[in-house]
Amino acid sequence: MSIFFQQLINGFFIGSVYGLFAIGYTLVFGVLDILNLAHAAIFTLGGLSALWLTTTAGLSPWEAFPLATLFSGVLGLVLYRVAFAPLRRRADSNLSGLISSIAMAIVFESAAMGIFGARTVRFPEGMFPNRVWHFGSIILTSLQLEIVVVALALMVVLTAWLKHTRTGKAVRAVAESENTARLLGINVERIVSETFFVSSALGGAAGILYGLYFDALAPNMGHSIELKGLAVIILGGMGSIPGAILGGIAFGLSEVFTVELTGMSNLRDAVAFTVLLLILILKPSGLLGRGRVREA
Amino acid sequence: MGMSAGNYAKKTAIVLALALGLTGICSRAPAAPKEAKIGFALSMTGAAAAYGETQKNGAQLAIDEINARAGKNGIKIVPVFEDDASQPEQGVNVFNRLIFADNVVIIIGPTLSNTAQVTDRIAQKAGVPVLGISNTAKGITDIGNYIFRDSLTEMQVIPDTIRVVKKKLGIKKVALMYGNDDAFTMSGYNAFKKALLDSHIKILTEQTFSKGDRDFSAQLTEIRSLKPDALVVSALVEEGSGIVSQARELGIPVSVPIIGGNGFNSPSLIKNAGKAAENVIVGAAWNESSSNPLNRRFVRAYTAKFGSPPDQFAAQAYAAVYIVLDALKRAGSTDNRKALRDALTHVKGLNTVLGKFSFTKNRDADCTPVVEIVKNGRFTVFGK
Amino acid sequence: MSEFFAVYGSLINFVGINALLALSLYVPLSAGQLSLGNAAFAAIGAYGSAILTMRFNVPFPLAIAAGACLSAAVAMAIGTPVLRIRGIFLAMATLAFGEVVRIVAVNLAITGGAEGLIGIPNKTTALIIYGTVAATAYFLAVLGGSRIGWSFASVREDETAAMVMGINTTRYKNGSFVLGAFIAGIAGALYAHLNFIITPGEFGFSAEVQLLIYNIVGGTRSVLGPILGAFIITVLPEVLRGVGVTAGPLRMGVNGVILLLVILYLPNGLSSLFGQKR
Repeated sequence: MSIFFQQLINGFFIGSVYGLFAIGYTLVFGVLDILNLAHAAIFTLGGLSALWLTTTAGLSPWEAFPLATLFSGVLGLVLYRVAFAPLRRRADSNLSGLISSIAMAIVFESAAMGIFGARTVRFPEGMFPNRVWHFGSIILTSLQLEIVVVALALMVVLTAWLKHTRTGKAVRAVAESENTARLLGINVERIVSETFFVSSALGGAAGILYGLYFDALAPNMGHSIELKGLAVIILGGMGSIPGAILGGIAFGLSEVFTVELTGMSNLRDAVAFTVLLLILILKPSGLLGRGRVREA
Repeated sequence: MGMSAGNYAKKTAIVLALALGLTGICSRAPAAPKEAKIGFALSMTGAAAAYGETQKNGAQLAIDEINARAGKNGIKIVPVFEDDASQPEQGVNVFNRLIFADNVVIIIGPTLSNTAQVTDRIAQKAGVPVLGISNTAKGITDIGNYIFRDSLTEMQVIPDTIRVVKKKLGIKKVALMYGNDDAFTMSGYNAFKKALLDSHIKILTEQTFSKGDRDFSAQLTEIRSLKPDALVVSALVEEGSGIVSQARELGIPVSVPIIGGNGFNSPSLIKNAGKAAENVIVGAAWNESSSNPLNRRFVRAYTAKFGSPPDQFAAQAYAAVYIVLDALKRAGSTDNRKALRDALTHVKGLNTVLGKFSFTKNRDADCTPVVEIVKNGRFTVFGK
Repeated sequence: MSEFFAVYGSLINFVGINALLALSLYVPLSAGQLSLGNAAFAAIGAYGSAILTMRFNVPFPLAIAAGACLSAAVAMAIGTPVLRIRGIFLAMATLAFGEVVRIVAVNLAITGGAEGLIGIPNKTTALIIYGTVAATAYFLAVLGGSRIGWSFASVREDETAAMVMGINTTRYKNGSFVLGAFIAGIAGALYAHLNFIITPGEFGFSAEVQLLIYNIVGGTRSVLGPILGAFIITVLPEVLRGVGVTAGPLRMGVNGVILLLVILYLPNGLSSLFGQKR
């Protein structure tokens, strides 16, 4: 029985990490209907820049992490200006945006590799306090708990922001219809830029926490989570913030319990993607989707 | 006999230096060093970039040392470094270029076995020797008589590791974990499985993971519940260090050793897994802590030059350049590929950072693997 | 001249194979179906044909045909349910399918698992590749001007309107998907018999995206677009190598910048540079 609970915790935790990555991903999609494939690269640069700030610049994590998050947000603005804004008026903007974001991802990754080298590195040992709790044979760490709390808190805060603040409402208006939003006097360009800033800051923060928990930062760390992140936002319904977190947790649990129930870990990814395929076929808008299926 | 050994050495050195200086002055135009063009096909970007990087460093260090000493009548090495981006397709392009445009005398690389399966055939057909420095898959040297490697395969390393561990720790039942979507980790898995079966050690469970995975909690929780005597892991160091640290965090006690192969033999295992790396046992082709003066000097020079200690990939690349140099000296020419190939087959007991090195009849590496254990944050020799 | 072919012969072959792969995606794209599963279809063709030649000594042309048919058959089976999904969701569904194919290849014994299928007889020649590319391009150009081509285009422009006009959109969507898979299957089979070894990793996510890049960079207005895109993207790293941009990360970065510039400044792809001025 204790194995079951441990696995539940494992799945819940890794799922929150997926969710954290996916929040920013889904936010941009919700607003622009564009898949930003450079999100994984920003995730990577967020983690690596935090590492640079703590080791080379010698800042404490409490200074470095907010700074790196901010830096990721700025990278998001750059990304938007360079790769998406010029394409906005094109008919095939979501297809060409896909490619230009890939191009930016390549540029970001090569920059990361040039600056930090290709090796896997980590935050200095013991830099960030991590306590381990034992409940019988069930083990939980403070870092795990913090990551889950951060993921859930972000979900709540972001949802509230979108629902109740002026900017949030404007973001939703742009997501619904750009033209209408413009008629309502909303500065669409500014709103889209802000969305990119928030999305990328979240992506960078996810990268920091990921690197912190797994003791691993590398220029290619985004690759392994990129595809899963896509699966998660589809599972949760593209553009849905709670959907991203819940989709992440569902994906995490499916991975863990494939191992637990079948004992065959080589089926883990196959099961996850088969489930994804079935969900797309049966309910294309995802678990918490907006019910909009029509995309150009 | 009043002269002490130290004194004697000093005097000899002075005499030697004088002699060298004199020849430098007397013969204004010394015989220029012969240039040997060596091609390197390494993965400097893409999935295997981390290995290509240290390989390039290791090779560069060796080349710098050799060229600094090439002054007179020596051999000067002119390297041509190319990046295959970890893709077989680009590997093919790189090989064609090195062979037909750059006219290199030998190619060192490629980083990945999958790429070697394709590229080495091109070299074999063109009659260009290839020295693999990290290819561990079976069948690479079977491609032809121009294909060599200085990397011990998992099949050469692992049986010994398991034998030593069984003898010293008396383990009876283990859990086996491996990356199932990678040629390197699969060859390690096959070797471990065979060795475990041969030594009558029970495999309680087999768990897999994929390249790039960072979360291993599901598999390790499963493994913990079976209470194995040891955890046997075939992984590269990125996944390996994650497995090691999460295994300890999830409560697999330090008294349960974690046994790995060549992929674990890297300072980043200790760096990235931290304290969790204690009691990790590694069977490997290169012994960082070896007291071989050649090795001591290599570790020191590498660390000074690149700011971090070398790993096995760097050591094998470094050794490869010296192996080629040894063969070039005997080949009597620096641009005759056939002569170089023949000379390579006669590399015997060469003193390298990998220990005394020879090629087997099949042109595979013949040097002594070591079994190391991590104690107090350092690799130390575990036993033979 | 012979040195040129010695150095670049393989590159020329890869350009041809990649052009064929690009064309395989061009077909569903021309019917408005964004498929990211064509590398997986190439994998099916590659593994299918290679197993036939290696294990059963099937003659090479027959093996290519069988691999392509196998790939088309799988496309037919999954086409009906999957093609009800549209746009980016279809892309994701086909991507998921691709992942499943890759994982199956990793886990099966007959495909050689992660170590790959090794020792495939080397039978593909430049002549075969370019003959196939030419035939495929010609066929697709003719198809594009035919009723079928117009129906593809009408489904792409407005599926609902096409349906109202009495076009059996499901049939045309499925048709484009299956034809694309067939071409991908041929490309995969040719690739397998060029390369001695195929591994599951070569047909993953980045390969899927690569095919899309060929099409977008080259442009999807005519069959020449994807071919041109495949040519540029395949040759670019070697050109950079030739002009001395060899350092790993730098070359990768320059590659990315060039891709970005093409997307930003050539809305209809490179082929628009060569098209007639209208």
